[in-house]
Amino acid sequence: MCLGIAMQVVAVDGYNARCEAKGVQREVSLFLLQEELVQPGDHVLVHVGYAIQKITAQEARSTWEALDELLALEDAQAARA
Amino acid sequence: MPISAQTWLQRLRELPLSSKTRIMNVCGGHERAIGMAGLRSALPASIELIPGPGCPVCICPEEDIYQAIQLALHERVILVAFGDMLRVPVNVPKKEVRSLEQARAAGADVRPIASPREAVKIAREQPEKSVVFFAAGFETTIAPVAGMLAEGLPFNLSVLLAGRLTWPAVAMLLASEAPGFDALIAPGHVATVMGPEEWRFVVERHHLPAAVAGFSPVSLLAATYSVLRQRLEGRVFLDNCYPEVVRPGGNPGARRQLQAVMEIVDANWRGVGIIPQSGFALKAEFAAHDARRLWPDYNDTARKRAGQMPPGCDCARVVLGKIYPNECVLYGYACTPRTPVGPCMVSDEGACRIWWSSGVREAARTQPVVSS
Repeated sequence: MCLGIAMQVVAVDGYNARCEAKGVQREVSLFLLQEELVQPGDHVLVHVGYAIQKITAQEARSTWEALDELLALEDAQAARA
Repeated sequence: MPISAQTWLQRLRELPLSSKTRIMNVCGGHERAIGMAGLRSALPASIELIPGPGCPVCICPEEDIYQAIQLALHERVILVAFGDMLRVPVNVPKKEVRSLEQARAAGADVRPIASPREAVKIAREQPEKSVVFFAAGFETTIAPVAGMLAEGLPFNLSVLLAGRLTWPAVAMLLASEAPGFDALIAPGHVATVMGPEEWRFVVERHHLPAAVAGFSPVSLLAATYSVLRQRLEGRVFLDNCYPEVVRPGGNPGARRQLQAVMEIVDANWRGVGIIPQSGFALKAEFAAHDARRLWPDYNDTARKRAGQMPPGCDCARVVLGKIYPNECVLYGYACTPRTPVGPCMVSDEGACRIWWSSGVREAARTQPVVSS
């Protein structure tokens, strides 16, 4: 449940942002990041539809890689089962 | 140049470890990464990785789930909850509705959601209904719930809150006679929101090594190396092995919302009991949206086994890291993901479910390995 997904901000409208990861777009709330200036092109860590931290592009890439790695391992486990 | 998992493993194997070291994690996400990457078998045998209290669904009070089921069965109510919660059974006779999933099968309007924002949307779309959001979770999840409340709710949306703080459960274990671990890997996304400082007490009060970790094998191995090295050198501190996301002070905006909306109360953990100052409750200003104040309390202590884990289920000891999942007598026999008995086999963050998904399909034949 505490899984966070790194996403790139595509558009911002008030506290609402359209964000993208791996070609999938989602509406994300920026309500918990009011102290930060969040703009299109920025990266955020998203948990249950809310951005909980602003992160750099490089940090986003490394969390994507970690997620890919984990999903590949899960697929491998599922295939073995 | 980041250090690879292979390099961390090499460094770990080169450490002059003489005694057994038990390292507890308190996050389902950590446990899943450990299980899926097969870190236990890759590490030297003297290192034990113990899953601790890292699953909010697993310790969600049985009476709260019972209450959610009773509310869901009301014809004017739409009950929404994170999907994990729907299959968790309560202790009622077999002929009665035992889970939210069964309530839905019986005609109740129960909907799984992935975000608090979906609860708001559903309430706006159906003003003739009363929407109850049954929200279990740790700090990372409850901060968004607080954000949702602070932003303003539709009149017909209320929250049945079962939020918990993670550190008080660790503090309770450490204050007990047999904590059962020698070092702690602290949860990365809880620390993202609340700040890593919350975990200083492990080092300062209990003199145990601690490190905040992210969710990649590399970050977990780095944290494992850090706590082992701290222990070997006799110099303990709170390390941050997830600095790209976890900053000093956490997320001040999220903490501000939590403070504005929630108060901290003593709270029950299923099968464990009351842990002081470990629960979130809505402040009085939000009474109009607090399902606990709005609706009758279905908490019927006369119910047989009210509040407890299901009969025979050892989830409580699994949650506290006292036994490994496959040391429960039900594991793999009476209790599998298809026919789960206890919440630890239901939730994606439950240690039993994670171990099963990681390929552990048999109960342990030996006596408990986790001694205290």
